[in-house]
Amino acid sequence: MALGRFLLKRGIQGVLVVWGVVTAVFLLRFITPGDPVTFVAPLDASAELRAQIAADLGLDQPLYVQYVDYIVGLLQGDMGYSYLRGTEASTIVLARVPATVELAVAATVVAIVIAIPLGVISATRRREPADYGATLFSLVGISTPNFWLGIMLILVLSVQLDIFPTSRRPIGLFETFAFLVTVENGLAAPMDVGAFLDGLWTWLWHIALPAVTLGTYFTALVTRLTRSGMIEELGQPYVRAARAKGLPESLIQYKHALQNTLIPIVTVLGLQLGTLIGGAVITEAVFSWPGLGTLVIDSINVRDWPLIQGSLIVIGTGFVLINIFVDALYAYLNPRVVH
Amino acid sequence: MLRDDSDVNRRTYLKYVGGTAATVGLAGCSDSGGDGSDGSDGSDGSDGSDGTDGEDGEQLPEPETREEHLQRANLRLNERAPWIFLNRQYSVYGIASRLDWTARRDERIEAQAISVTEGEPSVTITQSSMDSGLDPHDHRETPTDNIVVQAHDGVLGRNADGDIIDALATDYERLEEGRVRFEIRDGVTFHNGDELQPSDIAYSVNRVVDSEVGIESPQSDQLAGVTGAEVVDGGVEVTSDGINPIVFSLFASYCKVVQQDWIESRDSSEINSDMNGTGPFQVVEYEQDVEIVYEPYEDYWGDAPEIEELTIRATSESSTRVSQLLAGETDLVVNVPPQEVSRVRDEDSTEITAVPSTRVIFNAMRYDVEPFSSPEFRQALNYAIDLNSIIENILQGFADATGQPTLEGFVGYNGEVGPYPQDVEQAEQLVEDSGHAGVEITLETPVGRYLRDVQIAQAVASQIDELSNVSCQVEQRDFASLAGEVTSGDIENMPHFYLLGWGNTTFDASQTIIPLLTSDGALSSYRGDEEVDELMSESQNLPGEN
Repeated sequence: MALGRFLLKRGIQGVLVVWGVVTAVFLLRFITPGDPVTFVAPLDASAELRAQIAADLGLDQPLYVQYVDYIVGLLQGDMGYSYLRGTEASTIVLARVPATVELAVAATVVAIVIAIPLGVISATRRREPADYGATLFSLVGISTPNFWLGIMLILVLSVQLDIFPTSRRPIGLFETFAFLVTVENGLAAPMDVGAFLDGLWTWLWHIALPAVTLGTYFTALVTRLTRSGMIEELGQPYVRAARAKGLPESLIQYKHALQNTLIPIVTVLGLQLGTLIGGAVITEAVFSWPGLGTLVIDSINVRDWPLIQGSLIVIGTGFVLINIFVDALYAYLNPRVVH
Repeated sequence: MLRDDSDVNRRTYLKYVGGTAATVGLAGCSDSGGDGSDGSDGSDGSDGSDGTDGEDGEQLPEPETREEHLQRANLRLNERAPWIFLNRQYSVYGIASRLDWTARRDERIEAQAISVTEGEPSVTITQSSMDSGLDPHDHRETPTDNIVVQAHDGVLGRNADGDIIDALATDYERLEEGRVRFEIRDGVTFHNGDELQPSDIAYSVNRVVDSEVGIESPQSDQLAGVTGAEVVDGGVEVTSDGINPIVFSLFASYCKVVQQDWIESRDSSEINSDMNGTGPFQVVEYEQDVEIVYEPYEDYWGDAPEIEELTIRATSESSTRVSQLLAGETDLVVNVPPQEVSRVRDEDSTEITAVPSTRVIFNAMRYDVEPFSSPEFRQALNYAIDLNSIIENILQGFADATGQPTLEGFVGYNGEVGPYPQDVEQAEQLVEDSGHAGVEITLETPVGRYLRDVQIAQAVASQIDELSNVSCQVEQRDFASLAGEVTSGDIENMPHFYLLGWGNTTFDASQTIIPLLTSDGALSSYRGDEEVDELMSESQNLPGEN
């Protein structure tokens, strides 16, 4: 019950944050230089034509009218129409979400799979070669700019060694699972496992380098967090008590110490996942990954405000949802936070 | 008779014709490149002006033909130096050695001209972005053009050199002032199997120029001066405001032909996600923002394409495009930046193909503000610049120096006018003569809009700053806000001194000079030069070769 109230409170706070994001993003348009009509109208368009285009785009209305129209539209799932493409902004923006989520999650998985064992090994073998190696890896990982890393991975693993493709996302993860849920004439059809595996392999093959590129900084960060958390936990009295009780060292490390270490790591993971959703711009550009980051950049370049606004709102909403989820997880792992 | 009408028609022409180049002008390209050639004719830049007031034209015979008018205007502009004339950009492509292809000067990639000498007869092209929708009349940018032109033909066309060739029209003639006629090719079919009708061509023209027909096309100014089209005796007659001397040139570059029934029976989203043209390729698969796949159209009226499958994709990051080419994942990439050229050249399986583009880079100076109101000062800045150094060191040879707004090969290009040579003493003397010694000026430049725009601006400013009597600095600007000021329609809003690029795919001088350098030009920073105004006005009332 307490958990329910906690989540409700967080939900209401989240709605307020999203509303704030929507308002800020809406107002951003009016304080940013560059008139969208410049990009839509012929360059030598007459004042009349410019006025007509502004009217068509709804830019001639008072600010509050545009704002109310926008909010009402959003509540109905309408983000307006792309100035440049003339199609619904929501369709374009939402089509980019899976690629961004896939990349963010894959980078997070890379981080978790590598960082947590590495951090534990580093902490339990302090001042041994493994610890030095892990520390060095963390330092390099945190210091490496991901645009450079991405280009280097492409040059070495794609161009020189021809192991991975250079870029692109020929198939999405959700599309590969569609092979398992096929419907013909309203009836479930046999699963196409071969196509599923082919699709999954193609997806993995293409996402590997972007995920490593995006996840390297994150991996290094979590390795350091895990290491310091584990070292702290292993010095706690309950660990000494457990050892005195004769529990096996592996049980103490992985069951007791690591579980307590995970609480702050989960928080960081959640926050970083939110950051990855909006912050994968460079990685997306280097690997030609069709996500929200590249859409935002492309749209900013041509002042396509409905797409900019839509993308930022989706990113902001995603960030809020992830934080609520992390809060819930945190509350589950450590029930004291609910109170 | 034409001369008598010139006053009546002048404003109309200046208004409409000026729009055409505007369409492709500032739209620009952020990272095209060049082929490493060593500049244009390398002439000595003698212009005869030497700081005089540019009245030299009086000694020359009166121009008679339209081309002579345009050439005279270019001479006059070189003398009066309303810009610092910089360079012509090159379009640079990376291409797999197994392909045989000649790049076009208008930046379009027509895959029909590609042949495969080795390996699979399928070709993948990677450009910097995908389309903004497949409606042939509802876009303005080159990447969309490249996707649309594979499936759609125009009334006329151009070969790789930019010369006008027949396309869906087999013959064309000027009937009278403001009316031309096209004879339509027989036996042409759309990809859905329906036969092309003259009414489809009339509809296509009207869909572009008339907002009452279908859409408010952003290409309306590409058919500058054209007011409509109708079917007459099995042909199509196009009407214009006035004589419209470049009307055939416009139809060679613009206005793709669509099927009226097909368009009218579909909504906007359907039109933007499929194509039904008469072109050499038909769409097999289209995924917005991802890729488009074509196959040859078997009943194409012209020569059948040699390739059996064509795919167009996009990658915004130029180094990744080059890596894709080197890894064999694509066969042709656009806009290879100078620093990536050696990577492509060093590989056996790939090579560089470059072609002079239709884009000129310049520094405009506002004629109505000091110190730029002084012709001597403007000339001084031209003499201060070492163009060859900029081209060699910043553009790595991938550009041609120019001394006039019109590029070589265009109608109206004046072969007698070369780039200004660098002459620091002359420049300092001209600054003294102008009465502006000791002045401080600021060059405003967009960032990342044109190939190495900031670096070019910094080099220009540095070379001006080296003059003993002028200080110059660079201010980097967001392109949108800079373009907003330039296109505001009010010269008072324009920056005093700014870098800009201007593309002109009509290959006609008027489409650069009128919008940018005449009194009524919508984007003009140079007004009040009666000689230029008169020459351009008269040129627009003379029939051209086009």
